[in-house]
Amino acid sequence: MNLISAQQLTLTLGLIIGTIVIYQIFNQLQKKLSLIWLNPMLLSIAAIIPLMLIYSISFEQYFEATKTINWLLEPAVVALGFPLYQHLNTIKDQWKVILSLLVLAIIITIITSFILTMTFVMAPEIAVSLSLKSVTTPIGIALTEQLNGNSSITAFSIILAGLFGALLGPLWLNFIDVRSAKAQGLAIGAASHALGTATISKISYEHGAYGSLALIVSAVITALISPLIINQLAILFNI
Amino acid sequence: MRLIPATLKNTVYSAFAIGICLAIGKFIAAEFHGLPGSLYGLILFTMSLHFSVFSAAKVQQSISWIISNMGVCFVPSGVGIINHFELIKQHGLTIVTIIFITTFLLLTLVGLWFERFNKIKLSDKKASEEAAINLR
Repeated sequence: MNLISAQQLTLTLGLIIGTIVIYQIFNQLQKKLSLIWLNPMLLSIAAIIPLMLIYSISFEQYFEATKTINWLLEPAVVALGFPLYQHLNTIKDQWKVILSLLVLAIIITIITSFILTMTFVMAPEIAVSLSLKSVTTPIGIALTEQLNGNSSITAFSIILAGLFGALLGPLWLNFIDVRSAKAQGLAIGAASHALGTATISKISYEHGAYGSLALIVSAVITALISPLIINQLAILFNI
Repeated sequence: MRLIPATLKNTVYSAFAIGICLAIGKFIAAEFHGLPGSLYGLILFTMSLHFSVFSAAKVQQSISWIISNMGVCFVPSGVGIINHFELIKQHGLTIVTIIFITTFLLLTLVGLWFERFNKIKLSDKKASEEAAINLR
């Protein structure tokens, strides 16, 4: 093995192990202190970014090295089917209500996001990106490309929407007196996709079940209706 | 001593079950598009547990381990924010603020509506139960 590839291998392993170790430290810390805002994901990101700047590692290098971790995201999302399975019977009775309220809430949110962005940023491609931020990344990106948005802004917005809902969602929902696990799960799954769902699944399996449900249903609804709404809004704004 | 092989067996079983669902999910996504493969996989996994294709008891332990650790999978793409510092500088905090407001709008709408619906249903149930008691 030549020197360069040996070095690369060390860097790759170092970054993967480093990421896992940092995450585990914060994960254990959160378990000990059980504070929801002490989110291990956010703290890991906040710890890794300065380290990358210090050692001048670019994001491309980091992402290339840690793609194994990113790859594990897919089986992890599949695993969220388990809490959903456990609550399938209760959900069956309520699917009509869940579907209709999600459709209505998603339409209102897409329209609000688009109009706010057009008013304050005045860039149609950013308006499209921000309208698609509540769904899971692969769907958000695919729709962005279809509707002439900006994929990197969409990717960034999706992560931010995920973090806001995961970190502050439970606090906010308790504050407005939405306390049941079902309603909290459904709201956070709809607004903050897999990232929010993964975080709240730790609170209870019921949170996880309704989160997973909202995650799937929202993805389907958004994929179906966002092109219609955004095209209409584009006509309205003369784009 | 017997405990370890049993756990190991269940882990392999769980990995197999998830792997199969994901593989079929990816195949569906490649053939028919629509949703990403992992979401088809999620639906298939739920269905296969529901119809006892896979045993829920055997996967339970592995699943709770995955759920308590899956946050680490989001770290690499989350670090991607590093590439958007320019964007944030350029458009000020406007974009972040809009994302913040609309995320909370969606949270509030879905949360409040569903909570209200459940309360109405609960009070209906109570009322009908009380009616039933009164009839007696």
